[in-house]
Amino acid sequence: MAESLLIVFLKALLLAVALLGAFAYMTLIERRILGRMQHRIGPNRTGPFGLLQPIADALKSIFKQDIMPARADKFVFVLAPAISITFALSAFGAIPGGPAGSLFGLDPWVVDLDIGLLYVLAATSMGVYGIFLGGWAANSKYALLGSLRSAAQIISYELGLGLSVLTIIMIAGTLNLREIVEVGVWSVSPWLWPGLAVAFVTFVISGIAEVNRTPFDLPEAEQEIVAGYLTEYSSIKWALFQMAEYVNMFTAAAFMSTLFLGGYKGPAFMNALIPGSADWPIVWLVAKMAIFMFLFIWLRATLPRLRYDQLMRFGWIYLFEVALGAALLTGAVIAFVL
Amino acid sequence: MATFVVLAVVMVVGALGVVLLKQPVHAALSLVGTLLALAVTYVTLEAHFLAAVQVIVYAGAIMVLFLFVLMLLNVQDAGPRRSLPGLRWAAYAAAVVTATAIAVVAFWDGRPAPDPAIVSLHLQGGSAGGIGDALFGELLLAFHLVGVLLLTGVIGAVALVQRRAESAHGAPKGGGLPGGRTAAAGGARALGSGGPR
Repeated sequence: MAESLLIVFLKALLLAVALLGAFAYMTLIERRILGRMQHRIGPNRTGPFGLLQPIADALKSIFKQDIMPARADKFVFVLAPAISITFALSAFGAIPGGPAGSLFGLDPWVVDLDIGLLYVLAATSMGVYGIFLGGWAANSKYALLGSLRSAAQIISYELGLGLSVLTIIMIAGTLNLREIVEVGVWSVSPWLWPGLAVAFVTFVISGIAEVNRTPFDLPEAEQEIVAGYLTEYSSIKWALFQMAEYVNMFTAAAFMSTLFLGGYKGPAFMNALIPGSADWPIVWLVAKMAIFMFLFIWLRATLPRLRYDQLMRFGWIYLFEVALGAALLTGAVIAFVL
Repeated sequence: MATFVVLAVVMVVGALGVVLLKQPVHAALSLVGTLLALAVTYVTLEAHFLAAVQVIVYAGAIMVLFLFVLMLLNVQDAGPRRSLPGLRWAAYAAAVVTATAIAVVAFWDGRPAPDPAIVSLHLQGGSAGGIGDALFGELLLAFHLVGVLLLTGVIGAVALVQRRAESAHGAPKGGGLPGGRTAAAGGARALGSGGPR
């Protein structure tokens, strides 16, 4: 069903607004969960359960002084947060939210691309420029260290990400995210489960590294390099980077759900309880994303940060080889067993 | 056509920026812009797979490495350098000859353009399937040869790094670390954040 450009535009706008709203409340949820995990209370003073805290934070960010470092590269300094948020928001567009036509007769996605999987990888790989250039343009040694770490980290872990995705591509035989969900990679053959399980683990680990979350948050390690690439940013530009980070987390969570956990499809037993409920759009994707978002927060509360050399060794010596092994195993199963 | 003109202007301006901008990081960014505009051009030609790969490989990986090196070494504009006499004019002449040759081929060569219907049939919607069929079918030998070529480059790079590492430390490293690890450890030392303890 070809939809008019206006509808696509409105859906994209709605998605962007939804993602940014979700970002605001994700910060609150994260702080509350972290507080509970660390035996403290967390923000609970601003409104009931602290529900007005994101609004207070947003107002504070807007009214803070916007500082431009004297020796910064001004053009790139302003460009960097814009790049970050643009590519973060555009990456989500290809992720399908439900079966065709299920959203009040409309398709619950912004674009249905034949190369949707590659599109998400491409958009997220462009997002690194924001962090990278922001750290460089600030003309500060801490910011530069943060951006160098970020570039090295993202390049290294993209390999693990790409190889884990290869397993999915070989099984599904398509790059279209909606078709990958419809194929249902786990239902193809039990022989493929070992490869898939390993690929799932390596994919989640590389995904966390790609979005710079603990234990891979070296680009902004506050105990070593102040705040890394964020050191010189303040006010709304800082908030844009935060937005991009959380939107990237949402994208990573949605991408993991779509590739490995059946994406927008609900569990089959739900159809027995409420007929047709497994086909509800958006609901199941959001539920699965919530699991991963909780995992990200849980890991942040649990694990210490890796050292730089540990990060590189883990990425190149272990993750890369294990993901490659899973891809080879899956290829061998498809070629010789099935 | 209007889309192409806009994209062509962006690409030419970006390419000029690569050559003319003094600050190396700005020049590299200009190249990123050019590559992105080229990717969009591929999209307008229905070659979606090529566009995605262009962004992932060139803009997402190779240019990030370029910028990484530029920032790590903190390359600044060093001003005029010693060079071969007449090199500048030779470069200008080479540019003019190349541009003329491209223009001649593009505008005066009498070959008819291929039928769009046949082209789009072979592109198969610009997805990975058509390219895969071509690469692993009739172009298999060339594909493998390119693979060997890339492997040669990688081995060469590792060999260069190994020799530097030995001479820099005065004693050859035992065991022969794999190249990736040497480079990673070197990066860690350069960043002063970890390194062997």
